[in-house]
Amino acid sequence: MGFLHRHRGLTPYLLLAPGLLYLGVFFAVPLGFLLYQSLESGNFDVGYSFTWAWGNYWHAIRGYSSQFARSFEYAGLATVLALLFSYPLAYWIAFRGGKWRNLFLLFIVAPFFVTYLIRTLAWETILADQGPVVRFLRDIGILGSGGRLLATSVAVVAGLTYNFLPFMALPLYVSLEQIDQRLIEAAQDLYASKWKAFLRVTVPLSLPGVVAGTLLTFIPAAGDFINAELLGSTNQHMIGNVIQSKFLELIDYPAAASMSFVLMATILLGVALYARAVGTEKLTG
Amino acid sequence: MTDVYTRRQLLERAAAGGAVLTVPGFLAACGGSSSKSAASSHKLAKTLRFSNWTLYIDIDNKTKRHPSLDQFQKKTGVQIQYTEDINDNATYFGKIQGPLSRGQSIDRDIIVMTDNSRYPSLLIKKGWVEKLDKSAIPNIKNLQPALQHPNWDPNRDYSLPWQSGLTGIAYNDKLTDPVLTVPDLLENPKLKGKVTLLQGMGDTMPLIMAVNGDDPTKVTDASWDRAFKIVKKAVDSGQIRQFTGNDYSGPLAKGDLKAAFAWSGDVVQLQADNKHLHWNLPKEGGGIWTDNMLIPTGGNVYTASVYMNYYYDPKVAAEVEDYVNYICPVVGAKQVLLKKDPSIAKNTLIFPTKKMLDNAHNFDANALNNEKYITAWQNLITR
Amino acid sequence: MSAIAVSAARRSQDLAAAWAFVRRHVLTVYAMLGFAYLMLPIGFVIAFSFNHPQGRFNYVWNGFTFDNWKHWDGVPGLRSALVLSIEIGLLASLLATALGTLIALALVRYRFRARGATNILIFLPLSTPEIVLGASLLTLFGNRQISNVIQLGFWTILIAHVMFCISFAVVTIKARLIGFDRHLEEAAMDLGANEWATFTKVTLPLIAPAILASMLLCFAVSVDDFVVTYFNAGPRVTFPVFVWNSARVGAPPQVNVIGSVIFIVAVTGMVANVLVQIRRQRSAATV
Repeated sequence: MGFLHRHRGLTPYLLLAPGLLYLGVFFAVPLGFLLYQSLESGNFDVGYSFTWAWGNYWHAIRGYSSQFARSFEYAGLATVLALLFSYPLAYWIAFRGGKWRNLFLLFIVAPFFVTYLIRTLAWETILADQGPVVRFLRDIGILGSGGRLLATSVAVVAGLTYNFLPFMALPLYVSLEQIDQRLIEAAQDLYASKWKAFLRVTVPLSLPGVVAGTLLTFIPAAGDFINAELLGSTNQHMIGNVIQSKFLELIDYPAAASMSFVLMATILLGVALYARAVGTEKLTG
Repeated sequence: MTDVYTRRQLLERAAAGGAVLTVPGFLAACGGSSSKSAASSHKLAKTLRFSNWTLYIDIDNKTKRHPSLDQFQKKTGVQIQYTEDINDNATYFGKIQGPLSRGQSIDRDIIVMTDNSRYPSLLIKKGWVEKLDKSAIPNIKNLQPALQHPNWDPNRDYSLPWQSGLTGIAYNDKLTDPVLTVPDLLENPKLKGKVTLLQGMGDTMPLIMAVNGDDPTKVTDASWDRAFKIVKKAVDSGQIRQFTGNDYSGPLAKGDLKAAFAWSGDVVQLQADNKHLHWNLPKEGGGIWTDNMLIPTGGNVYTASVYMNYYYDPKVAAEVEDYVNYICPVVGAKQVLLKKDPSIAKNTLIFPTKKMLDNAHNFDANALNNEKYITAWQNLITR
Repeated sequence: MSAIAVSAARRSQDLAAAWAFVRRHVLTVYAMLGFAYLMLPIGFVIAFSFNHPQGRFNYVWNGFTFDNWKHWDGVPGLRSALVLSIEIGLLASLLATALGTLIALALVRYRFRARGATNILIFLPLSTPEIVLGASLLTLFGNRQISNVIQLGFWTILIAHVMFCISFAVVTIKARLIGFDRHLEEAAMDLGANEWATFTKVTLPLIAPAILASMLLCFAVSVDDFVVTYFNAGPRVTFPVFVWNSARVGAPPQVNVIGSVIFIVAVTGMVANVLVQIRRQRSAATV
């Protein structure tokens, strides 16, 4: 420790070194390997070799544009739905929950301790053609007699929405809970309408939660393949399904790797634009 | 931890094979490239590592153990580490090809893969499986004659059948009139969105080609195109809900599906849950396939062969058959079951008639390895 | 003020009160429905853990039984999968929290040049889709030279889990450290404690709740992870991978039993924690 005293400037770097080294070796370096692989050509039978095959990217985008589009569409829808669902709920807990707030928060967190896959399988049962939800929707005439939810995009979006809800609800709650009640009261005096006060004060103050929540929901949803696999049909496959099957079943590494990069780049670009629009501080805290 | 266990085993194996325990010798053993030493040894290993498909071996309903495996252990002293980690051929092959291509062991002595996928032939072609030690398998004489000479392993040097199965049409009589033909399944508007096909090209295509009067065992570009168009049309029209592996069984049992391309043995088992399920070979002809035991490189050839010999004893095969309910490749098992469990022995889904077998076709192994077909098929089922 | 004006004012007040009452209740009803929606699948999971399937599949409700709970271990491979998940979860949460604590300390306590870059490196794994994390690690472990050193299995799963847990750990602990009173440490130093003693005697106990929270979070994330594990598990089977495999032919009711147990343990723990907090607040209020 005497050494540290003499070189105080070094201390932060010493503290950082093990963790950052770890992330460097097992996060950054693997991405480098993936990048390398995305530029290989060949096929499984003859093997793959590095040839600067930028064409892989072109193929990935051209050949699978519909899956890319679908991924962002579904993830976007799920994010919006999760926001619309969670906001009133988080609001209620933050402002009406009283001393039981933490207990109510439990309702949001607890379901997500049940393994992700088990939850999704439960939805498969609930949304089944002979299940309670479909029967109800048929009875009230929303679905025709042959209508179904399972193996449609509705089920996939519903699954994505449910599965990533806490990532939306928790940041929302945190930002709402931090709002000083007196500010809202003052605003109500000022604007005379509670609704107006809500729009002018509460919503802007909760924006950091909205920003964090949308990102934390959208990113995993866009790369997901479980919901499309279990709740969708072949017509609902997202880019995650393609990457998964190219990697693990078809052993077409260059195609899978280039698709992974297109996905990641698109998401990072989106995040960067979003960050610029709302300010970086809200992202990295 | 099994990690530790297998490492000890590898050491033992290297020692038994006469490999000197220097560092390179150790590494070679770990990498599994010292398979020759294992092959030449006629000493049983302590453990046999066996990967199989789920619900594909006898289970005692009370103890949840596998009696046939326990008996093998009692008889030989070899403990069987039985893992149900194969769910579909492509994924499993994807998992093992990495280590195998690098000459590393996959910690398995027996794996089971289906001959209507490209993988058994690919494994042989790539040299990633060991030759059987036939001197340890006298019971090979009990192999059904029809299965003795597949074109991808003409003399059964590398493989022995575990079970066979038929691909046909299953339907739920509570939800639909009997679905007995492929065109009915693909075109009947009442079935729209309520039917599934199988995701393996070798599973689905024989049934489609049979409709066209084409020979699934000798695929040509023309017959492929004809069949492909039929499937594509059904997919585009929304008739087909999904392409599935085993996972059609849930929706079929629950009633989400009215009909599906399905495997005979699955339906025998599903009928316990849902009496309304029926299974038939389509009138135009169905598919037949065989799951094969193979020894991946680095596996213990002698121990695996001894186990295969044990399985080819009709009494043992009958015991497994009594639970598994697919088609048994071992001659004599039916006779054993006629005494023990006649209802199984008389079930034509488990012991099919000659007429059924004549109407069921295998799929051309060359077509399975045709890159053009593979890509087209993959793009059809993943959209 | 005229009587009419007074009664009008009162009426509008009443109206406003009624409106507030309705609105308050609409939101409350909404919240209750929302909680029901969140709990719905869990209800199904628990219900089907008591199912008594006739055949070999747990698809159709066939009657009530406690057998699955009594014989939760009755499915081959389930126990070892669970054990593996717990082992990985414990080790990963421990390692990731250790590494994360150090990073969080550096980020909150010191001004240094690489701060922005560090923040980004922490943020990146969180904003990378899991499938990309899994795939890139697989290309690393699949490399010929590297696979001679380490093969897919226990260690690769652990490495992967520590990797994606670090960011969670940093975020959790950082949040706690920011609201931390440095005067306590300075006081300790003034009293003659050296840096190490200050750290172990003062800093560590103060951030212990954050460390615990981080470990719990990492454990939960690790035990639940499927995608990254699926890519990098090789022949090993964790609990989620077991569920995935068995789902192909219908997950056995025992899977629901385990799911229910995890849920019950987590909820009990959290409820206890909340109750303790509430009691503490109450006793603080009465003192």
